[in-house]
Amino acid sequence: MFRTGSRRRHDTGPAAEALRLVKVTKTYGSDDSAVTALDGVTLGLARGTFTAVMGPSGSGKSTLLQCAAGLDRPDHGIVVVDGTELTGGTEAELTKFRRGRVGFVFQQYNLLDTLTVAQNTVLPLRLAGRRVDRGRAREILTQVGLGDRLGHRPDQLSGGQRQRVAIARALVCEPRVIFADEPTGALDTRSARTVLRLLQEAVRVHGRTVVMVTHDPVAASYADSVLFLADGRLAGRLHAPTADAVAERLAHLGDDVTAGV
Amino acid sequence: MFTLALRSIRQRPGRFLATLLSAFLGAAIIMTFNSMHDTAAGSGVDSVSSNTLTTAASVVGGYGSLLVFFAVASTLTVNVRQRAAELELLRCSGATPAQLKRMVVGEALAVALVGAALAIGPAMLGGRALLDLFQDSGQVAESVDYSFGPIALLTGVDITLVAAVGAAFLAVRRATRGQRRRARARTFLAYATLATGTLAVCSTFLMKATDEALMAPPAYGAILLSVGFALLAPRLLKGLLDRLALSGASGWLAVRNLRERAGELAGILMSLILFTAVATTTLTVQAVESDEVAASGLVKSVDAKNLETLNFTVVGIIVVFVCVMLVNSLYAATTYRSREFGQQRLAGATPGQVLGMVGAEGLVLTVAGVFFGTVAALAGIVPFTVVRSDAVLPGQAVGIWLAVVSVAAAVTVGTGLATARKVLRTPATEAVTLAA
Ligand SMILES: Nc1ncnc2c1ncn2[C@@H]1O[C@H](COP(=O)(O)OP(=O)(O)OP(=O)(O)O)[C@@H](O)[C@H]1O
Ligand SMILES: [Mg+2]
Repeated sequence: MFRTGSRRRHDTGPAAEALRLVKVTKTYGSDDSAVTALDGVTLGLARGTFTAVMGPSGSGKSTLLQCAAGLDRPDHGIVVVDGTELTGGTEAELTKFRRGRVGFVFQQYNLLDTLTVAQNTVLPLRLAGRRVDRGRAREILTQVGLGDRLGHRPDQLSGGQRQRVAIARALVCEPRVIFADEPTGALDTRSARTVLRLLQEAVRVHGRTVVMVTHDPVAASYADSVLFLADGRLAGRLHAPTADAVAERLAHLGDDVTAGV
Repeated sequence: MFTLALRSIRQRPGRFLATLLSAFLGAAIIMTFNSMHDTAAGSGVDSVSSNTLTTAASVVGGYGSLLVFFAVASTLTVNVRQRAAELELLRCSGATPAQLKRMVVGEALAVALVGAALAIGPAMLGGRALLDLFQDSGQVAESVDYSFGPIALLTGVDITLVAAVGAAFLAVRRATRGQRRRARARTFLAYATLATGTLAVCSTFLMKATDEALMAPPAYGAILLSVGFALLAPRLLKGLLDRLALSGASGWLAVRNLRERAGELAGILMSLILFTAVATTTLTVQAVESDEVAASGLVKSVDAKNLETLNFTVVGIIVVFVCVMLVNSLYAATTYRSREFGQQRLAGATPGQVLGMVGAEGLVLTVAGVFFGTVAALAGIVPFTVVRSDAVLPGQAVGIWLAVVSVAAAVTVGTGLATARKVLRTPATEAVTLAA
């Protein structure tokens, strides 16, 4: 079930530790075709930090983010988000918990084709029964450069534009923890910079916590620290990363797989 | 491309199950009734027996076939339209429109053939049972032997094939080509069907109260009017939805979904309208007929009771068939939305909210379907009652209508909810990555 660290039922502001994973393991498939996507990952992220997660394709980055956000359930291990343990609980309970605290930018965007850009952006608010602030939605969409596309449908947008709608949707709820899976993967350098600045601003100005998966060393350099993942295990951590240092580390990632941080 | 069609069926047999079921049931119904023609043509059948058998085959078998035609066609249309994304992907991978057409039509042909072949056995048993009923009620001599011959086989296979292949052809043409030009053709087809249906119900007035085939024009007319309304319904529904505001996030999503999917809903609406219209019309008409026979005091024997049971059995088969089709197309359409539901859940919808949305959609659909179905049913019932009795609207109609509407609402909302519940069992993250 849900457990807050201090057994308090009421939400009493952000916890000091935004995210904690303890020995999280996730396996897909069964028997001979089983793939261990996460293999005993343990980590903790303080509130108000910007962390990048990097690693080769298939190393388990998306799985890590989805387990940490309560979208997917790990096979073993403990996930604590904003002071609340996510183990167990029904889907409805998990969903209600996520609404106020967690924002997610999906690698595949996951926008609804039947809704317009503006409607997609405010959908989480509407589902949560919260007041729909159209002005705020327009403001965020304008910030990501889509102020003139409010009435378009996702299938009328380019991949990069869809990605920016997904980012606006994650930001509009003003969540405490934002998970972004390759949020700049389909963007040109300039739009990518805008998005990274927005994420940085969420951390610096609003005190939110951001965890971002990326393959781009330059994008990673916007973060406070970088976590490296290889074969479902943590393979090192880099503080105050520069693009060059990250690229250097990535190049040698396969050489020294060390467990834990 | 036909090999590609067969391979695609073999790889994902599940999605063809709905089409197969409708082809199978449809062919079985047509063959069952039309084998009465074969039986009547046998040697040594006296004229009274022959007459009864031919009337049953022509009247019930006739409008039954029409019904089956549209039911099979609408299931297939739902199937092809749902795969628009897959077809688009194939087109982008280099398949020409002609190749796509051959693939989809090939699939339809294969599924319809299998369905019709599977139907032969059950149809023989059904036909034998039907003949037994006729013989028990004394309308057909005991000496008549059952025969399943070329008429049953040919009509069963042909109608199923034409409906499946025709619908697949039209649907894939729409999927691979722009929709603009088709809108006019659709409107024309809708009005033509409505006009034919109106003619059919009006022709009731030309018949005598004692004509054996008096039940046929109202039934034919109600079916044709239903199809006409189903063709027009999406546009009318869209107009209604523009003004409809349901409360809550689920209601809000339901209205938007229905408006966006209005085109795809034609197939489901067709089943729903057909069910309401055909069930109400045939059951009411039969009730009126029974009452009139009883009132005339001509036959007040055990035979009359048997006859009534027989007719209700026959009408019941047809009604159950349409009901199964309704469940079938709703099930297929809802299963297909797994990805959409997953995306909603990831955006913050609880499973309860998704179910609420599906339920609200079902209710709106039911209201629309029942409305048009009722109009079509009234158009069939009123002329019949005027000719057969002195009343305009028979007293039984209200009770029957209420029962039919309850079944329609329960089936539409129930199937949607039960299917959605099953679909929601897949974790959301998995549902959005599954190939649609
Ligand atoms: N639904 C699933 N079913 C089976 N295996 C899966 C599933 N999702 C992920 N995997 C497997 O788990 C491993 C980790 O996948 P994951 O998507 O987390 O990788 P990733 O690091 O995000 O890769 P990328 O950079 O390409 O997005 C991969 O080997 C993948 O094949
Ligand atoms: Mg990934």
